[in-house]
Amino acid sequence: MNKIYLWGFIVTASMLGFTYVSVLGSKGGFNGDIVNILTIAGAAALVIITVFVVIKYVRQMQTDTADGELVNESWDGIGEYLNPVPMGWAIIYLMTMVWAMWYFTMGYPVQSYSQIGEYNEDVDVHNKKFEAKYASITGDRLVEMGESVFLAECKICHGLTADGIDGTASNLNVRLEANVVKNAIVNGSNNNLLGMEMPMPNREFLFNAAGSAITDAEIDTVSAYVANGFTGKGSDVYLSACASCHKENGMGTDYGPNIAKYTPQLVVNVLNHGKKGVIGTMPAFNRLNAKQKEAAGAYVTSLSE
Amino acid sequence: MFHWLEKNPFFFALAVFATIAFAGLVEIIPNFAQSSRPLIGTTPYSTLELAGRHVYIKNSCNACHSQLIRPFKSETDRYGDYSLSGEYAYDRPFLWGSKRTGPDLMRVGNYRTTDWHENHMWDPEKVVPGTIMPAYRWMFVNNTDVDTAYAEMITVEKFFGVPYNKPVPMKDGSTKTIKMADTLHQARKDALAEARIIVKDMKHQDVIDAVEVGRIPEIVALIAYMNSLK
Repeated sequence: MNKIYLWGFIVTASMLGFTYVSVLGSKGGFNGDIVNILTIAGAAALVIITVFVVIKYVRQMQTDTADGELVNESWDGIGEYLNPVPMGWAIIYLMTMVWAMWYFTMGYPVQSYSQIGEYNEDVDVHNKKFEAKYASITGDRLVEMGESVFLAECKICHGLTADGIDGTASNLNVRLEANVVKNAIVNGSNNNLLGMEMPMPNREFLFNAAGSAITDAEIDTVSAYVANGFTGKGSDVYLSACASCHKENGMGTDYGPNIAKYTPQLVVNVLNHGKKGVIGTMPAFNRLNAKQKEAAGAYVTSLSE
Repeated sequence: MFHWLEKNPFFFALAVFATIAFAGLVEIIPNFAQSSRPLIGTTPYSTLELAGRHVYIKNSCNACHSQLIRPFKSETDRYGDYSLSGEYAYDRPFLWGSKRTGPDLMRVGNYRTTDWHENHMWDPEKVVPGTIMPAYRWMFVNNTDVDTAYAEMITVEKFFGVPYNKPVPMKDGSTKTIKMADTLHQARKDALAEARIIVKDMKHQDVIDAVEVGRIPEIVALIAYMNSLK
């Protein structure tokens, strides 16, 4: 027998043996796992094919002699045979050209990957899912959703308990605090609380029961009156200066917002337009969708109920 | 036909380089030139904003905060629209950052306000319980370096053609002109005028007093910069 075949068998046997010992011998066999079986079968096939392909070419190198017609070229003494183009290669080459034509005209322009395209699809899928799942929720579930919106977007200024973190933002557990009322009376207000431009005049245009401009003391009194839930002193000032727009009970009219309690629509208007008051500026939150704003409104309203 | 080239390795290498480089030019340059152009609505930084940007860099804000929103739903929900390369046209250097220890700040001007920044930079723990961001109280004391900002304005205007004192198109079809002063004296006055607007929304008495007498604490410049990030 040719020595090279003998070496082939020795190498094959030792590699398969090594595989057997390292994989099957020490780990307790295939364990009935199809992946293990396939892996081992693949490894064995690879070893056997490699060894015998190598043997074939080594033998060819040992016995082959160069003959055939040389092309009419010589590169520093290195020549080339005039062999025909291999058929398999030629077929693949032509197929590549056909594929390239398809890719230039159809593949890339029509089906190319785009990061932004994938993003748009993602957003689309999400919006559809949101629509299907949440578009019609009401009541407690809406409040629940509002709480999660609040925790994501609002707590950064208003705090986890919506208390305004010690004056960093409005305390949402009460409708109005005295300093907020006072600021609105002194400076007027124009915060689109009704969803449109509807300026509240400043103190010069707010009159007390005697028909003259409201005084400092009266401002303090009526601010405390509104902040305390329309109890205590100050109802006479309120009736003359405020009630024509905000109503006797503070529930508001078409041209004066509700100052007795929050309503979802009021909160939605603030989220749409932002506001500027005595504490600071609140930005508009237009990245929330309509339902999320409604939910946040429901949650904020529920806090002071 | 090209045997002479094959026998000359040096020229052959040159020819290969030229071929590949040409392909690169054709494919890369037009797209790059288009996307790196300033986006409509992107304006150069004003004097105080630029000074604030220097404060941002000086304090290594970019080590923890990125300024690049990727096109993923989870990011655009939290930070706003994804970033486009044209939006960085006037950023020298860009401050994309490589790690988000804190949140992205690319569009922080849309959802945080002057008074929030003031509270937060003074005592982050108060507004964001559990945050690891340190307080930056020296910014309420140290003065802003307006001169360097003005020097940068002159430089970028001269060498990169940044359109100061020229109308810049905005998204709504109008134009906006970002002013660059003619003299350093005027630049300082411009920065102070910007600072006075910011300070109207601030509550820290030391800062208000400082701006009143013509000093600009760093916090004011930083807030001007933060508010400009939209």
